[in-house]
Amino acid sequence: MTRLTRRHLLASAGAAASIPLFAPGIVRGQTAIPIGLVTPLSGPQQLIGDAVRVGAEIAVEGINEAGGIDGRQVALEIRDSKANPNDATVAARELTGAGVNLQLGAISSTVALAMGTMMEGEGGIMITSGAGSEKINHENYSPHVFRVGDNPYTRAHGMVQHVADTQPDVNKWVGIIPDHEYGRTTWAVFIDAMAKRWEQTTGNRPEIPDPILVPYGAGDYKTFIAQATRLKPQGIFTSVYGGDAVTLYQQAKPFGLFDNLDVLVDSSNEFLVASAMGNQVPRGWTGFHWYYKANTGNPISDRLYDEYVNRTGSQYPLGWAAEAQAAVLAYKASIEKTGSTETQAVIDGLKGLTFDSATGPRTIRAEDNQAIKNAEMAFIEPSNSAEAGFEVTDSISIDGADVIEAANPGEKLELTTL
Amino acid sequence: MMMDIGLVVFGGLSWAMATFLVAAGLTLIFGILHILNFAHGGFFMVGAYLAWAMIEALGGGVSIWTYIAVALVSGAVVGALGVLVDVTIFRRLRDVEDAYALIATYALLMVCIGAIELIWGLDFRAIMPPEALNSALFIGDLIAPTFTIFIIVCGVVVYVALEVFMARTETGKLVRIVAHDAWMARLLGLDVTRIYLITVVISFALAGLAGGLLVANQGLSPELGGVFLLQAFGVVIVGGMGSIRGAFLAALLLGQIESIGGMLFPNYPGIFYLVALAGLLLIRPQGLLTKGRTEWV
Repeated sequence: MTRLTRRHLLASAGAAASIPLFAPGIVRGQTAIPIGLVTPLSGPQQLIGDAVRVGAEIAVEGINEAGGIDGRQVALEIRDSKANPNDATVAARELTGAGVNLQLGAISSTVALAMGTMMEGEGGIMITSGAGSEKINHENYSPHVFRVGDNPYTRAHGMVQHVADTQPDVNKWVGIIPDHEYGRTTWAVFIDAMAKRWEQTTGNRPEIPDPILVPYGAGDYKTFIAQATRLKPQGIFTSVYGGDAVTLYQQAKPFGLFDNLDVLVDSSNEFLVASAMGNQVPRGWTGFHWYYKANTGNPISDRLYDEYVNRTGSQYPLGWAAEAQAAVLAYKASIEKTGSTETQAVIDGLKGLTFDSATGPRTIRAEDNQAIKNAEMAFIEPSNSAEAGFEVTDSISIDGADVIEAANPGEKLELTTL
Repeated sequence: MMMDIGLVVFGGLSWAMATFLVAAGLTLIFGILHILNFAHGGFFMVGAYLAWAMIEALGGGVSIWTYIAVALVSGAVVGALGVLVDVTIFRRLRDVEDAYALIATYALLMVCIGAIELIWGLDFRAIMPPEALNSALFIGDLIAPTFTIFIIVCGVVVYVALEVFMARTETGKLVRIVAHDAWMARLLGLDVTRIYLITVVISFALAGLAGGLLVANQGLSPELGGVFLLQAFGVVIVGGMGSIRGAFLAALLLGQIESIGGMLFPNYPGIFYLVALAGLLLIRPQGLLTKGRTEWV
């Protein structure tokens, strides 16, 4: 028989007292709603992951300050995905094992695609925060994975429609595309948009050779730049991203490639390139998850901007923060709608849900868990008078309902070629 | 057709000399210390960030001579860091298995990345070349950026300087003796530890110099350390581990193969470097110019 000593008693009491400190979702004796954030907080995508974390934290604090969800506070449980599917699934599984069934933060396509099967098995939900692959709501559709942001199809069709409306004479295009899953997806949907919208809008058939594929993480793009220059394009579409894009634009300067264009369409660099290059940034359109000035007057956007600037010191927030904020707000709306945090109830609540976000109302399609969200883009130009060396001289927000593809979950997205 | 040949040759030279600038220090340290220094890319990155910070502090637009001076200062600072690394880390790795050295230098690369993140953050950075190097020569249809010509010249100058240093200076000859047989050199009374230190300092200074020279050609981020590392390792391996001349020739060869491949098969960017690397290793596993592991220059 085990003898209960005073030391055992004290140890047991200490352990019991420490449970609220470590158990997710239990705050000061009141059960909080835990939401897991699994996003890259180290490695090559940490810059984006940090914006996602800030956006999620701002959303959670805003909800808690306003009284929580149905009177319950929200607790954010943060894990590092390292932008790696293996690390991300381990972190997500650990969270679901601890009872954190509601998660967000996947920003890379490979991580988001790995989440489907895992979440179905573990009984959790993942809302992505910027992952681009069209497979998420098509051939790899999972009822447990939601995308509350725009997808590459929506963005490419929005961009092409806008350029077709405003610069219909730009007929000779070249693509500079990173040679990976995301790059090839963006090119395929760009061609689809050109095939379906350009000729219909402008009356001209666009001239588009095969894209110039560039390796990921290369130090020297000059051969590819020379190839693009000799084609003498009027317009360039590129989805080269982040540091690679900075290097590409930098090395292209002596060639005059981007300076001699009628239009540059950069699918997704937001302020990343402009912040690095200042007054050397090439003038052109770039896609945004959320461009704050296009949403001035929207209290959700205004609060996100102010808080983001306060926390990071950056005047140019990354739109991924708004995707994380939107994910948290979607969970809130779903829980309030169904009155439950159980996985199936939250899934049911998210399907067909319309909720407010920093970019205005978004509706999650019940068929494929894809949100109908505005496609936003801004025109960035170098400026010697602006402190940052660049300024935004135009921006647009295109109704997502006008440019989104039809829902066909489980089916490959059928795209047109020229 | 002529333009295509010019484009291929020029593109290949550009790739080759940028890679050689990074590979020179890498092969030097392997030739003497027999350490595969994974941290070399990290110190290349430190050199680039130092140069960026100095040029920003000078107001951004600098002359070509200031740009070169900044690159030399970056090289000197990183070379000084080499003293610290040699005394605290490399000396402890001389009598242990290669695997420990690999792990230690990889950890050092992580330290470099962490230090960059702490000091300069995660944001992307960029500067443009000096005004005199920010244009292009138009030779027929061939467009030759002057900054690329500058990098090609720098690569050749660094190669020649290293050859002269090794072949004509007393210190260079001592380095070669230690590379050939450190045990015998020690028996003969040479201060091998000091020669190792000199080698590390030169290698690190070359990494810092490469970072300073290439900074206007690269977007800066904490991932920069890995950008040239794979290419540089390939050049060092194909050239013959420890051979500066081999690394120079390998850079020229791989650069042209990569450039030709990119022109003929644009749908497979970057793959020809890897195919060529594998093929050359199958044909000549010891490297282009090396008969044995420590024979070099």
